[in-house]
Amino acid sequence: MTRKQRVLGWLVILFPFVVFFISLSVGVVRIPLGDVFKALLSPVFPAMKEGLPENVLGIVLGVRLPRLLLAFLAGAGLSVSGASLQALSRNPLVNEYILGISSGAAFGASLSIVIFRQSFPPQVSAFLFAVVAVVIVLAISRKSDSPIVSLLLTGIIVSAFFSALLSLVEFFASPYALQGLFYWLMGNLGWPGWGALSISLPLMAAGTAGLILMRWRMNVLSMSDEEARALGVNLGREKLIVVILATLVTSAVTSVAGIIGWVGLIVPHLVRMMAGVDNRRVVPLSAALGAGYLILADDLARGLAASFEIPVGIFTSLIGIPFFILLLRKSKRIWL
Amino acid sequence: MSLWVKDLRFDYRSFSLRVRDLRIEEARLTAIVGPNGAGKTTLLKCLCALLPVAKDSLFLGRRDIALLSAEERARLIAYVPQEHGSAFNYAVQDFVLMGRAAYIPLLSTPAAADVEIALEALAYVGLRRYASRPYFELSSGERRLVLIARALAQKSDILVLDEPTTFLDPKHETELMDLVRRLAVEKKKTVLLTLHNLDMAVKHADAIVFMKNGGVVAAGAPDDILDEALLESVYEIKMSILRHEGRRFIVK
Repeated sequence: MTRKQRVLGWLVILFPFVVFFISLSVGVVRIPLGDVFKALLSPVFPAMKEGLPENVLGIVLGVRLPRLLLAFLAGAGLSVSGASLQALSRNPLVNEYILGISSGAAFGASLSIVIFRQSFPPQVSAFLFAVVAVVIVLAISRKSDSPIVSLLLTGIIVSAFFSALLSLVEFFASPYALQGLFYWLMGNLGWPGWGALSISLPLMAAGTAGLILMRWRMNVLSMSDEEARALGVNLGREKLIVVILATLVTSAVTSVAGIIGWVGLIVPHLVRMMAGVDNRRVVPLSAALGAGYLILADDLARGLAASFEIPVGIFTSLIGIPFFILLLRKSKRIWL
Repeated sequence: MSLWVKDLRFDYRSFSLRVRDLRIEEARLTAIVGPNGAGKTTLLKCLCALLPVAKDSLFLGRRDIALLSAEERARLIAYVPQEHGSAFNYAVQDFVLMGRAAYIPLLSTPAAADVEIALEALAYVGLRRYASRPYFELSSGERRLVLIARALAQKSDILVLDEPTTFLDPKHETELMDLVRRLAVEKKKTVLLTLHNLDMAVKHADAIVFMKNGGVVAAGAPDDILDEALLESVYEIKMSILRHEGRRFIVK
Protein backbone atom coordinates (compact mmCIF):
# COMPACT_ATOMS: atom_id res chain seq x y z
CA MET A 1 0.00 0.00 0.00
CA THR A 2 1.41 3.32 -1.03
CA ARG A 3 1.33 6.46 1.11
CA LYS A 4 -1.07 8.05 -1.33
CA GLN A 5 -3.46 5.13 -1.00
CA ARG A 6 -3.30 5.32 2.76
CA VAL A 7 -4.12 9.03 2.86
CA LEU A 8 -6.90 8.51 0.34
CA GLY A 9 -8.23 5.70 2.51
CA TRP A 10 -8.51 7.93 5.55
CA LEU A 11 -10.19 10.65 3.51
CA VAL A 12 -12.76 8.14 2.30
CA ILE A 13 -13.41 7.01 5.88
CA LEU A 14 -13.91 10.63 7.01
CA PHE A 15 -16.07 11.55 4.02
CA PRO A 16 -19.49 10.21 5.19
CA PHE A 17 -19.16 11.76 8.65
CA VAL A 18 -18.40 15.20 7.24
CA VAL A 19 -21.20 14.91 4.69
CA PHE A 20 -23.53 13.63 7.41
CA PHE A 21 -22.91 16.65 9.61
CA ILE A 22 -23.21 19.18 6.81
CA SER A 23 -26.35 17.53 5.47
CA LEU A 24 -28.09 18.07 8.78
CA SER A 25 -28.10 21.77 7.94
CA VAL A 26 -29.28 21.37 4.34
CA GLY A 27 -32.93 21.27 3.27
CA VAL A 28 -35.97 23.44 2.87
CA VAL A 29 -35.06 25.11 6.14
CA ARG A 30 -31.37 26.00 6.28
CA ILE A 31 -29.88 25.64 9.71
CA PRO A 32 -26.46 27.08 10.60
CA LEU A 33 -23.85 24.42 11.39
CA GLY A 34 -23.42 25.83 14.91
CA ASP A 35 -27.09 25.27 15.64
CA VAL A 36 -26.87 21.74 14.21
CA PHE A 37 -23.99 21.04 16.55
CA LYS A 38 -25.94 22.36 19.55
CA ALA A 39 -29.06 20.42 18.62
CA LEU A 40 -27.07 17.19 18.28
CA LEU A 41 -25.53 17.63 21.72
CA SER A 42 -28.72 18.76 23.43
CA PRO A 43 -29.96 15.29 24.43
CA VAL A 44 -26.74 14.88 26.44
CA PHE A 45 -26.25 18.51 27.51
CA PRO A 46 -29.70 20.13 27.94
CA ALA A 47 -28.02 23.51 28.41
CA MET A 48 -27.26 23.50 24.66
CA LYS A 49 -30.94 24.00 23.88
CA GLU A 50 -30.83 27.61 25.02
CA GLY A 51 -30.99 30.16 22.28
CA LEU A 52 -31.96 27.64 19.60
CA PRO A 53 -34.99 28.54 17.46
CA GLU A 54 -37.93 26.36 18.45
CA ASN A 55 -38.25 24.34 15.27
CA VAL A 56 -34.53 23.51 14.98
CA LEU A 57 -34.56 20.68 17.51
CA GLY A 58 -37.54 19.10 15.83
CA ILE A 59 -36.04 19.37 12.34
CA VAL A 60 -32.53 18.20 13.24
CA LEU A 61 -33.34 15.43 15.69
CA GLY A 62 -36.84 14.45 14.64
CA VAL A 63 -36.68 14.70 10.84
CA ARG A 64 -33.17 14.90 9.44
CA LEU A 65 -31.25 12.71 11.87
CA PRO A 66 -33.30 9.54 11.30
CA ARG A 67 -33.35 10.15 7.58
CA LEU A 68 -29.60 10.64 7.39
CA LEU A 69 -29.05 7.61 9.57
CA LEU A 70 -31.10 5.63 7.08
CA ALA A 71 -29.13 7.08 4.14
CA PHE A 72 -25.86 6.33 5.92
CA LEU A 73 -26.67 2.72 6.72
CA ALA A 74 -28.46 2.02 3.43
CA GLY A 75 -25.57 3.42 1.39
CA ALA A 76 -23.00 1.54 3.44
CA GLY A 77 -25.03 -1.67 3.37
CA LEU A 78 -25.79 -1.68 -0.36
CA SER A 79 -22.15 -0.96 -1.22
CA VAL A 80 -20.77 -3.62 1.09
CA SER A 81 -23.30 -6.15 -0.21
CA GLY A 82 -22.30 -5.31 -3.76
CA ALA A 83 -18.58 -5.66 -3.02
CA SER A 84 -19.18 -8.98 -1.25
CA LEU A 85 -21.37 -10.46 -3.98
CA GLN A 86 -18.82 -9.40 -6.58
CA ALA A 87 -16.03 -11.16 -4.70
CA LEU A 88 -18.15 -14.24 -4.15
CA SER A 89 -19.20 -14.62 -7.77
CA ARG A 90 -15.76 -13.57 -9.06
CA ASN A 91 -17.63 -11.12 -11.21
CA PRO A 92 -17.31 -7.36 -10.92
CA LEU A 93 -20.64 -6.91 -12.75
CA VAL A 94 -22.78 -8.54 -10.12
CA ASN A 95 -24.91 -6.55 -7.73
CA GLU A 96 -28.03 -7.09 -5.69
CA TYR A 97 -30.10 -6.13 -8.74
CA ILE A 98 -28.58 -8.72 -10.98
CA LEU A 99 -28.93 -11.53 -8.48
CA GLY A 100 -32.64 -10.75 -8.23
CA ILE A 101 -32.39 -9.76 -4.57
CA SER A 102 -33.82 -6.28 -5.11
CA SER A 103 -36.81 -7.39 -7.17
CA GLY A 104 -37.56 -10.26 -4.80
CA ALA A 105 -37.42 -7.89 -1.85
CA ALA A 106 -39.52 -5.26 -3.64
CA PHE A 107 -42.19 -7.82 -4.41
CA GLY A 108 -42.14 -9.14 -0.85
CA ALA A 109 -42.40 -5.69 0.69
CA SER A 110 -45.17 -4.59 -1.68
CA LEU A 111 -47.10 -7.75 -0.91
CA SER A 112 -46.97 -6.91 2.76
CA ILE A 113 -47.79 -3.23 2.28
CA VAL A 114 -50.62 -3.56 -0.23
CA ILE A 115 -52.22 -6.93 0.36
CA PHE A 116 -51.63 -7.56 4.07
CA ARG A 117 -51.72 -3.88 5.08
CA GLN A 118 -48.47 -4.37 7.02
CA SER A 119 -50.05 -6.97 9.35
CA PHE A 120 -47.12 -9.09 8.19
CA PRO A 121 -43.89 -7.04 8.63
CA PRO A 122 -42.60 -5.85 5.24
CA GLN A 123 -38.99 -6.48 6.33
CA VAL A 124 -39.72 -10.17 6.88
CA SER A 125 -41.70 -10.50 3.69
CA ALA A 126 -38.99 -8.66 1.72
CA PHE A 127 -36.26 -10.89 3.16
CA LEU A 128 -38.19 -14.10 2.44
CA PHE A 129 -38.79 -13.29 -1.21
CA ALA A 130 -35.26 -11.91 -1.66
CA VAL A 131 -33.95 -15.24 -0.42
CA VAL A 132 -36.26 -17.13 -2.76
CA ALA A 133 -35.02 -15.03 -5.70
CA VAL A 134 -31.32 -15.38 -4.96
CA VAL A 135 -31.60 -19.10 -4.25
CA ILE A 136 -33.31 -19.66 -7.61
CA VAL A 137 -30.61 -17.64 -9.40
CA LEU A 138 -27.72 -19.41 -7.71
CA ALA A 139 -29.25 -22.86 -8.05
CA ILE A 140 -29.88 -22.52 -11.78
CA SER A 141 -26.58 -20.86 -12.67
CA ARG A 142 -24.53 -23.34 -10.63
CA LYS A 143 -25.22 -26.20 -13.01
CA SER A 144 -24.01 -24.29 -16.04
CA ASP A 145 -20.69 -24.64 -17.85
CA SER A 146 -20.17 -20.88 -18.05
CA PRO A 147 -21.32 -19.72 -14.62
CA ILE A 148 -20.74 -16.01 -15.19
CA VAL A 149 -22.89 -15.70 -18.30
CA SER A 150 -25.57 -17.90 -16.83
CA LEU A 151 -25.51 -15.99 -13.54
CA LEU A 152 -26.26 -12.75 -15.36
CA LEU A 153 -28.90 -14.35 -17.58
CA THR A 154 -30.66 -16.13 -14.76
CA GLY A 155 -30.53 -13.00 -12.66
CA ILE A 156 -32.24 -10.99 -15.39
CA ILE A 157 -34.90 -13.65 -15.84
CA VAL A 158 -35.64 -14.04 -12.14
CA SER A 159 -35.72 -10.25 -11.70
CA ALA A 160 -38.18 -9.98 -14.56
CA PHE A 161 -40.33 -12.68 -13.00
CA PHE A 162 -40.53 -10.89 -9.67
CA SER A 163 -41.15 -7.58 -11.43
CA ALA A 164 -44.14 -9.21 -13.12
CA LEU A 165 -45.40 -10.39 -9.74
CA LEU A 166 -44.92 -6.86 -8.47
CA SER A 167 -47.03 -5.54 -11.35
CA LEU A 168 -49.72 -8.00 -10.34
CA VAL A 169 -49.71 -6.56 -6.81
CA GLU A 170 -49.86 -3.04 -8.27
CA PHE A 171 -52.80 -4.05 -10.43
CA PHE A 172 -54.79 -5.08 -7.36
CA ALA A 173 -53.77 -2.09 -5.27
CA SER A 174 -56.20 0.75 -4.61
CA PRO A 175 -55.34 4.02 -6.39
CA TYR A 176 -54.25 5.55 -3.11
CA ALA A 177 -52.02 2.61 -2.20
CA LEU A 178 -50.70 2.53 -5.76
CA GLN A 179 -49.45 6.09 -5.53
CA GLY A 180 -47.58 5.34 -2.33
CA LEU A 181 -46.22 2.12 -3.80
CA PHE A 182 -44.92 3.88 -6.90
CA TYR A 183 -43.20 6.57 -4.91
CA TRP A 184 -41.67 4.02 -2.58
CA LEU A 185 -40.45 1.80 -5.42
CA MET A 186 -38.55 4.65 -7.04
CA GLY A 187 -36.38 4.61 -3.98
CA ASN A 188 -36.71 7.31 -1.40
CA LEU A 189 -35.47 7.87 2.07
CA GLY A 190 -38.38 10.08 3.16
CA TRP A 191 -39.55 9.39 6.65
CA PRO A 192 -40.66 5.76 6.91
CA GLY A 193 -41.45 6.15 10.62
CA TRP A 194 -39.52 5.03 13.64
CA GLY A 195 -41.52 1.78 13.78
CA ALA A 196 -40.11 0.52 10.48
CA LEU A 197 -36.69 2.03 11.11
CA SER A 198 -36.36 0.38 14.50
CA ILE A 199 -36.43 -2.99 12.74
CA SER A 200 -34.62 -2.09 9.52
CA LEU A 201 -31.69 -0.03 10.80
CA PRO A 202 -30.39 -2.75 13.18
CA LEU A 203 -30.73 -5.34 10.38
CA MET A 204 -28.72 -3.15 7.99
CA ALA A 205 -26.12 -2.42 10.64
CA ALA A 206 -25.77 -6.07 11.66
CA GLY A 207 -25.53 -7.37 8.08
CA THR A 208 -23.03 -4.69 7.10
CA ALA A 209 -20.92 -5.31 10.19
CA GLY A 210 -20.90 -9.05 9.50
CA LEU A 211 -19.74 -8.54 5.93
CA ILE A 212 -17.05 -6.07 7.02
CA LEU A 213 -15.78 -8.61 9.54
CA MET A 214 -15.52 -11.18 6.74
CA ARG A 215 -13.55 -8.77 4.53
CA TRP A 216 -10.37 -10.80 4.27
CA ARG A 217 -12.31 -14.01 3.73
CA MET A 218 -13.80 -12.41 0.61
CA ASN A 219 -10.34 -12.57 -0.95
CA VAL A 220 -10.22 -16.30 -0.44
CA LEU A 221 -13.83 -16.73 -1.55
CA SER A 222 -13.01 -14.92 -4.80
CA MET A 223 -10.66 -17.74 -5.81
CA SER A 224 -12.05 -20.53 -8.00
CA ASP A 225 -14.17 -23.01 -6.05
CA GLU A 226 -11.49 -25.64 -6.30
CA GLU A 227 -8.74 -23.35 -5.04
CA ALA A 228 -10.85 -22.05 -2.18
CA ARG A 229 -11.65 -25.60 -1.08
CA ALA A 230 -8.02 -26.64 -1.28
CA LEU A 231 -7.14 -23.64 0.89
CA GLY A 232 -9.39 -25.00 3.63
CA VAL A 233 -12.56 -23.02 3.03
CA ASN A 234 -15.86 -24.64 3.88
CA LEU A 235 -17.24 -23.28 0.65
CA GLY A 236 -20.94 -24.06 0.87
CA ARG A 237 -21.28 -22.73 4.37
CA GLU A 238 -19.24 -19.57 3.88
CA LYS A 239 -20.88 -18.61 0.61
CA LEU A 240 -24.26 -19.10 2.24
CA ILE A 241 -23.31 -16.80 5.10
CA VAL A 242 -22.25 -14.04 2.71
CA VAL A 243 -25.36 -14.40 0.54
CA ILE A 244 -27.65 -14.34 3.59
CA LEU A 245 -25.97 -11.26 5.05
CA ALA A 246 -26.09 -9.41 1.73
CA THR A 247 -29.72 -10.41 1.24
CA LEU A 248 -30.56 -9.30 4.76
CA VAL A 249 -29.06 -5.86 4.18
CA THR A 250 -30.61 -5.39 0.74
CA SER A 251 -34.07 -6.51 1.80
CA ALA A 252 -33.95 -4.33 4.93
CA VAL A 253 -33.07 -1.33 2.75
CA THR A 254 -35.70 -2.18 0.14
CA SER A 255 -38.46 -2.65 2.71
CA VAL A 256 -38.11 0.94 3.97
CA ALA A 257 -36.60 2.80 1.04
CA GLY A 258 -37.65 0.94 -2.10
CA ILE A 259 -35.19 0.16 -4.86
CA ILE A 260 -32.05 2.29 -4.73
CA GLY A 261 -30.15 1.10 -7.74
CA TRP A 262 -26.52 1.09 -8.82
CA VAL A 263 -24.97 2.04 -5.49
CA GLY A 264 -23.75 -1.52 -4.95
CA LEU A 265 -22.08 -1.56 -8.33
CA ILE A 266 -20.50 1.88 -8.61
CA VAL A 267 -19.15 2.36 -5.13
CA PRO A 268 -17.03 -0.83 -4.91
CA HIS A 269 -15.66 -0.11 -8.38
CA LEU A 270 -14.65 3.39 -7.44
CA VAL A 271 -12.97 2.02 -4.34
CA ARG A 272 -11.07 -0.60 -6.34
CA MET A 273 -9.82 2.09 -8.70
CA MET A 274 -8.53 4.10 -5.75
CA ALA A 275 -7.36 1.46 -3.32
CA GLY A 276 -6.70 -1.75 -5.24
CA VAL A 277 -8.60 -5.03 -5.11
CA ASP A 278 -7.71 -6.32 -1.64
CA ASN A 279 -11.08 -6.75 0.07
CA ARG A 280 -9.58 -5.91 3.44
CA ARG A 281 -9.67 -2.36 2.09
CA VAL A 282 -12.40 -2.62 -0.55
CA VAL A 283 -15.15 -3.73 1.84
CA PRO A 284 -14.78 -1.15 4.64
CA LEU A 285 -13.97 1.69 2.23
CA SER A 286 -17.04 0.77 0.18
CA ALA A 287 -19.09 1.12 3.35
CA ALA A 288 -17.73 4.62 3.96
CA LEU A 289 -17.94 5.83 0.37
CA GLY A 290 -21.40 4.31 -0.09
CA ALA A 291 -22.70 6.01 3.04
CA GLY A 292 -21.41 9.40 1.91
CA TYR A 293 -22.58 8.89 -1.67
CA LEU A 294 -26.16 8.07 -0.71
CA ILE A 295 -26.34 10.98 1.74
CA LEU A 296 -25.17 13.32 -1.03
CA ALA A 297 -27.63 11.86 -3.51
CA ASP A 298 -30.37 12.31 -0.93
CA ASP A 299 -29.31 15.91 -0.38
CA LEU A 300 -29.84 16.44 -4.11
CA ALA A 301 -33.19 14.66 -3.90
CA ARG A 302 -34.54 16.87 -1.16
CA GLY A 303 -32.70 20.06 -2.04
CA LEU A 304 -33.04 20.41 -5.81
CA ALA A 305 -36.70 21.34 -5.90
CA ALA A 306 -37.79 23.57 -3.06
CA SER A 307 -41.37 22.46 -2.62
CA PHE A 308 -41.21 18.71 -3.25
CA GLU A 309 -38.79 15.80 -3.09
CA ILE A 310 -37.51 13.77 -5.98
CA PRO A 311 -37.00 10.05 -5.17
CA VAL A 312 -33.32 9.42 -4.48
CA GLY A 313 -33.34 6.21 -6.51
CA ILE A 314 -33.69 8.34 -9.63
CA PHE A 315 -30.47 10.16 -8.78
CA THR A 316 -28.47 7.07 -7.95
CA SER A 317 -29.46 5.66 -11.35
CA LEU A 318 -28.92 8.91 -13.25
CA ILE A 319 -25.42 9.21 -11.84
CA GLY A 320 -24.78 5.49 -11.83
CA ILE A 321 -25.59 4.46 -15.36
CA PRO A 322 -23.30 6.91 -17.21
CA PHE A 323 -20.59 5.95 -14.77
CA PHE A 324 -21.20 2.30 -15.46
CA ILE A 325 -20.87 2.84 -19.22
CA LEU A 326 -17.56 4.60 -18.62
CA LEU A 327 -16.46 1.65 -16.53
CA LEU A 328 -17.39 -0.86 -19.21
CA ARG A 329 -15.25 1.01 -21.71
CA LYS A 330 -12.30 1.36 -19.37
CA SER A 331 -12.00 -2.14 -17.97
CA LYS A 332 -13.15 -4.43 -20.75
CA ARG A 333 -10.22 -6.73 -20.18
CA ILE A 334 -11.38 -7.83 -16.76
CA TRP A 335 -14.38 -9.87 -17.72
CA LEU A 336 -14.60 -10.27 -21.47
CA MET B 1 3.76 -37.49 6.73
CA SER B 2 3.07 -40.33 4.33
CA LEU B 3 0.03 -40.81 2.20
CA TRP B 4 -1.82 -44.08 1.79
CA VAL B 5 -4.42 -44.80 -0.84
CA LYS B 6 -6.11 -47.76 0.79
CA ASP B 7 -8.97 -48.36 -1.58
CA LEU B 8 -10.10 -45.45 -3.71
CA ARG B 9 -12.98 -45.52 -6.17
CA PHE B 10 -14.28 -42.62 -8.12
CA ASP B 11 -16.73 -42.80 -10.99
CA TYR B 12 -17.60 -40.03 -13.37
CA ARG B 13 -19.75 -40.82 -16.40
CA SER B 14 -17.87 -43.51 -18.31
CA PHE B 15 -14.59 -42.96 -16.45
CA SER B 16 -13.77 -44.85 -13.33
CA LEU B 17 -10.75 -44.53 -11.07
CA ARG B 18 -9.71 -47.48 -8.93
CA VAL B 19 -6.52 -47.39 -6.88
CA ARG B 20 -5.69 -49.90 -4.16
CA ASP B 21 -2.90 -49.90 -1.65
CA LEU B 22 -0.67 -47.15 -3.05
CA ARG B 23 1.81 -45.66 -0.60
CA ILE B 24 3.45 -42.27 -1.12
CA GLU B 25 6.48 -42.05 1.14
CA GLU B 26 7.19 -38.99 3.25
CA ALA B 27 9.94 -36.51 2.43
CA ARG B 28 10.14 -37.92 -1.08
CA LEU B 29 9.33 -36.65 -4.52
CA THR B 30 6.81 -38.89 -6.23
CA ALA B 31 5.75 -38.36 -9.83
CA ILE B 32 2.55 -39.68 -11.35
CA VAL B 33 2.87 -40.30 -15.08
CA GLY B 34 0.69 -41.86 -17.75
CA PRO B 35 -1.17 -41.05 -20.94
CA ASN B 36 -3.95 -38.46 -21.17
CA GLY B 37 -7.11 -39.65 -19.49
CA ALA B 38 -5.27 -42.10 -17.25
CA GLY B 39 -6.80 -40.49 -14.16
CA LYS B 40 -3.74 -38.63 -12.84
CA THR B 41 -5.50 -35.36 -12.11
CA THR B 42 -8.56 -37.16 -10.78
CA LEU B 43 -6.34 -39.01 -8.32
CA LEU B 44 -4.75 -35.73 -7.18
CA LYS B 45 -8.13 -34.10 -6.73
CA CYS B 46 -9.37 -37.05 -4.69
CA LEU B 47 -6.29 -36.76 -2.48
CA CYS B 48 -7.14 -33.14 -1.75
CA ALA B 49 -10.82 -33.99 -1.28
CA LEU B 50 -11.70 -31.68 -4.15
CA LEU B 51 -13.74 -34.62 -5.38
CA PRO B 52 -15.94 -36.59 -2.98
CA VAL B 53 -14.04 -39.36 -1.26
CA ALA B 54 -15.61 -42.25 0.66
CA LYS B 55 -14.61 -43.17 4.19
CA ASP B 56 -11.80 -45.64 4.68
CA SER B 57 -10.28 -45.00 1.25
CA LEU B 58 -7.54 -42.37 1.74
CA PHE B 59 -5.25 -41.71 4.68
CA LEU B 60 -2.94 -38.79 5.47
CA GLY B 61 -0.60 -40.31 7.99
CA ARG B 62 -3.09 -42.26 10.06
CA ARG B 63 -6.00 -39.92 9.51
CA ASP B 64 -8.88 -40.77 7.22
CA ILE B 65 -9.24 -37.86 4.80
CA ALA B 66 -13.02 -38.24 4.62
CA LEU B 67 -13.29 -37.50 8.34
CA LEU B 68 -11.24 -34.30 8.30
CA SER B 69 -12.75 -30.83 8.30
CA ALA B 70 -11.79 -28.52 5.45
CA GLU B 71 -9.38 -26.58 7.70
CA GLU B 72 -7.77 -29.70 9.14
CA ARG B 73 -7.22 -31.13 5.68
CA ALA B 74 -5.74 -27.89 4.31
CA ARG B 75 -3.21 -27.86 7.15
CA LEU B 76 -2.05 -31.36 6.15
CA ILE B 77 -2.18 -31.23 2.37
CA ALA B 78 -1.79 -28.32 -0.04
CA TYR B 79 -2.85 -28.33 -3.67
CA VAL B 80 -1.13 -26.37 -6.43
CA PRO B 81 -3.37 -25.96 -9.48
CA GLN B 82 -1.94 -25.37 -12.95
CA GLU B 83 -3.45 -21.96 -13.38
CA HIS B 84 -5.39 -19.51 -11.38
CA GLY B 85 -8.23 -17.52 -12.83
CA SER B 86 -9.80 -14.57 -11.07
CA ALA B 87 -11.46 -11.33 -12.03
CA PHE B 88 -9.40 -9.55 -9.40
CA ASN B 89 -5.72 -8.80 -9.80
CA TYR B 90 -4.43 -9.22 -6.25
CA ALA B 91 -0.93 -8.21 -5.22
CA VAL B 92 1.40 -11.23 -5.10
CA GLN B 93 1.78 -10.94 -1.34
CA ASP B 94 -1.99 -10.83 -0.75
CA PHE B 95 -2.32 -13.78 -3.05
CA VAL B 96 0.19 -15.88 -1.10
CA LEU B 97 -1.41 -14.78 2.15
CA MET B 98 -4.54 -16.67 1.14
CA GLY B 99 -2.59 -19.83 1.90
CA ARG B 100 -3.21 -18.98 5.56
CA ALA B 101 -7.00 -19.35 5.24
CA ALA B 102 -7.06 -22.63 7.18
CA TYR B 103 -5.46 -20.93 10.18
CA ILE B 104 -7.51 -17.75 10.27
CA PRO B 105 -11.02 -17.73 11.77
CA LEU B 106 -13.91 -16.73 9.53
CA LEU B 107 -14.39 -13.24 10.98
CA SER B 108 -10.70 -12.45 11.34
CA THR B 109 -7.91 -11.00 9.22
CA PRO B 110 -4.30 -12.21 8.90
CA ALA B 111 -1.96 -11.29 11.74
CA ALA B 112 1.60 -10.04 11.35
CA ALA B 113 2.81 -13.61 11.81
CA ASP B 114 0.74 -14.74 8.83
CA VAL B 115 2.21 -11.97 6.67
CA GLU B 116 5.66 -13.08 7.81
CA ILE B 117 4.95 -16.67 6.77
CA ALA B 118 3.67 -15.51 3.38
CA LEU B 119 6.78 -13.42 2.75
CA GLU B 120 9.02 -16.30 3.82
CA ALA B 121 7.26 -18.58 1.36
CA LEU B 122 7.73 -15.99 -1.38
CA ALA B 123 11.40 -15.71 -0.50
CA TYR B 124 11.76 -19.50 -0.70
CA VAL B 125 10.54 -19.53 -4.29
CA GLY B 126 12.78 -16.54 -5.01
CA LEU B 127 10.08 -13.94 -5.63
CA ARG B 128 10.29 -11.84 -2.48
CA ARG B 129 10.97 -8.75 -4.60
CA TYR B 130 7.63 -9.15 -6.39
CA ALA B 131 5.58 -9.01 -3.17
CA SER B 132 3.65 -5.90 -4.09
CA ARG B 133 3.40 -6.53 -7.84
CA PRO B 134 -0.04 -7.49 -9.25
CA TYR B 135 -0.27 -11.23 -9.84
CA PHE B 136 -1.31 -11.03 -13.49
CA GLU B 137 1.71 -8.89 -14.38
CA LEU B 138 4.00 -11.86 -13.76
CA SER B 139 5.08 -14.34 -16.43
CA SER B 140 3.42 -17.75 -16.43
CA GLY B 141 6.52 -19.34 -14.91
CA GLU B 142 6.57 -16.81 -12.09
CA ARG B 143 2.86 -17.25 -11.50
CA ARG B 144 3.38 -20.92 -11.02
CA LEU B 145 6.02 -20.16 -8.40
CA VAL B 146 3.57 -17.86 -6.65
CA LEU B 147 1.03 -20.67 -6.59
CA ILE B 148 3.67 -22.87 -4.98
CA ALA B 149 4.46 -20.14 -2.45
CA ARG B 150 0.79 -19.96 -1.55
CA ALA B 151 0.78 -23.71 -0.96
CA LEU B 152 3.93 -23.36 1.19
CA ALA B 153 2.15 -20.76 3.31
CA GLN B 154 -0.31 -23.52 4.19
CA LYS B 155 2.53 -25.15 6.15
CA SER B 156 1.29 -28.58 5.22
CA ASP B 157 3.42 -31.73 5.27
CA ILE B 158 2.10 -32.87 1.95
CA LEU B 159 2.25 -30.90 -1.28
CA VAL B 160 0.35 -31.93 -4.39
CA LEU B 161 1.04 -30.28 -7.76
CA ASP B 162 -0.97 -30.71 -10.94
CA GLU B 163 1.38 -30.74 -13.94
CA PRO B 164 3.51 -27.89 -12.63
CA THR B 165 5.85 -27.83 -15.63
CA THR B 166 3.31 -27.69 -18.45
CA PHE B 167 3.86 -24.74 -20.82
CA LEU B 168 7.17 -23.82 -19.19
CA ASP B 169 10.35 -23.40 -21.22
CA PRO B 170 13.26 -25.77 -20.46
CA LYS B 171 14.99 -23.31 -18.12
CA HIS B 172 11.92 -22.62 -16.00
CA GLU B 173 10.98 -26.27 -16.14
CA THR B 174 14.34 -27.27 -14.68
CA GLU B 175 14.28 -24.52 -12.07
CA LEU B 176 10.81 -25.52 -10.97
CA MET B 177 11.77 -29.17 -10.66
CA ASP B 178 14.86 -28.20 -8.65
CA LEU B 179 12.66 -26.17 -6.33
CA VAL B 180 10.20 -29.00 -5.87
CA ARG B 181 13.10 -31.37 -5.23
CA ARG B 182 14.42 -29.02 -2.53
CA LEU B 183 11.03 -29.04 -0.85
CA ALA B 184 11.28 -32.78 -0.41
CA VAL B 185 14.93 -32.79 0.65
CA GLU B 186 15.25 -29.58 2.70
CA LYS B 187 11.74 -29.09 4.00
CA LYS B 188 10.98 -32.80 4.33
CA LYS B 189 7.73 -32.40 2.49
CA THR B 190 5.93 -35.27 0.86
CA VAL B 191 5.70 -34.03 -2.71
CA LEU B 192 3.39 -35.61 -5.22
CA LEU B 193 3.05 -34.28 -8.74
CA THR B 194 1.77 -35.27 -12.14
CA LEU B 195 4.13 -34.93 -15.09
CA HIS B 196 3.96 -35.35 -18.82
CA ASN B 197 7.67 -35.23 -19.32
CA LEU B 198 8.99 -38.74 -18.59
CA ASP B 199 12.63 -37.62 -18.61
CA MET B 200 11.87 -35.09 -15.88
CA ALA B 201 10.20 -37.77 -13.82
CA VAL B 202 13.12 -40.17 -14.22
CA LYS B 203 15.67 -37.48 -13.46
CA HIS B 204 14.05 -35.88 -10.40
CA ALA B 205 11.62 -38.27 -8.77
CA ASP B 206 12.37 -40.69 -5.96
CA ALA B 207 9.40 -42.74 -6.98
CA ILE B 208 7.20 -42.97 -10.07
CA VAL B 209 3.59 -44.07 -10.27
CA PHE B 210 2.49 -45.25 -13.73
CA MET B 211 -1.21 -44.92 -14.37
CA LYS B 212 -3.43 -46.07 -17.19
CA ASN B 213 -7.21 -46.30 -17.64
CA GLY B 214 -7.97 -45.16 -14.11
CA GLY B 215 -5.66 -47.63 -12.39
CA VAL B 216 -2.05 -47.89 -11.21
CA VAL B 217 0.08 -50.09 -13.47
CA ALA B 218 3.35 -49.88 -11.55
CA ALA B 219 4.79 -47.86 -8.68
CA GLY B 220 8.23 -47.66 -7.14
CA ALA B 221 11.74 -46.23 -7.49
CA PRO B 222 12.71 -45.64 -11.15
CA ASP B 223 15.57 -48.13 -10.81
CA ASP B 224 13.22 -50.87 -9.70
CA ILE B 225 10.38 -50.52 -12.13
CA LEU B 226 11.49 -48.70 -15.25
CA ASP B 227 11.87 -50.84 -18.35
CA GLU B 228 10.88 -50.69 -21.98
CA ALA B 229 8.14 -53.27 -21.64
CA LEU B 230 6.41 -51.15 -18.96
CA LEU B 231 6.65 -47.99 -21.07
CA GLU B 232 5.22 -49.74 -24.09
CA SER B 233 2.32 -51.22 -22.16
CA VAL B 234 1.47 -47.85 -20.58
CA TYR B 235 1.88 -45.57 -23.61
CA GLU B 236 1.13 -48.08 -26.38
CA ILE B 237 4.10 -46.96 -28.46
CA LYS B 238 7.61 -48.29 -28.69
CA MET B 239 10.09 -46.47 -26.46
CA SER B 240 13.74 -47.12 -25.72
CA ILE B 241 15.72 -46.29 -22.63
CA LEU B 242 19.21 -45.00 -23.42
CA ARG B 243 21.96 -44.64 -20.86
CA HIS B 244 24.48 -41.83 -21.00
CA GLU B 245 26.89 -40.76 -18.23
CA GLY B 246 24.86 -42.58 -15.57
CA ARG B 247 21.56 -41.05 -16.61
CA ARG B 248 18.67 -42.57 -18.43
CA PHE B 249 16.95 -40.97 -21.38
CA ILE B 250 13.70 -42.10 -22.87
CA VAL B 251 13.49 -41.97 -26.63
CA LYS B 252 10.25 -42.35 -28.56
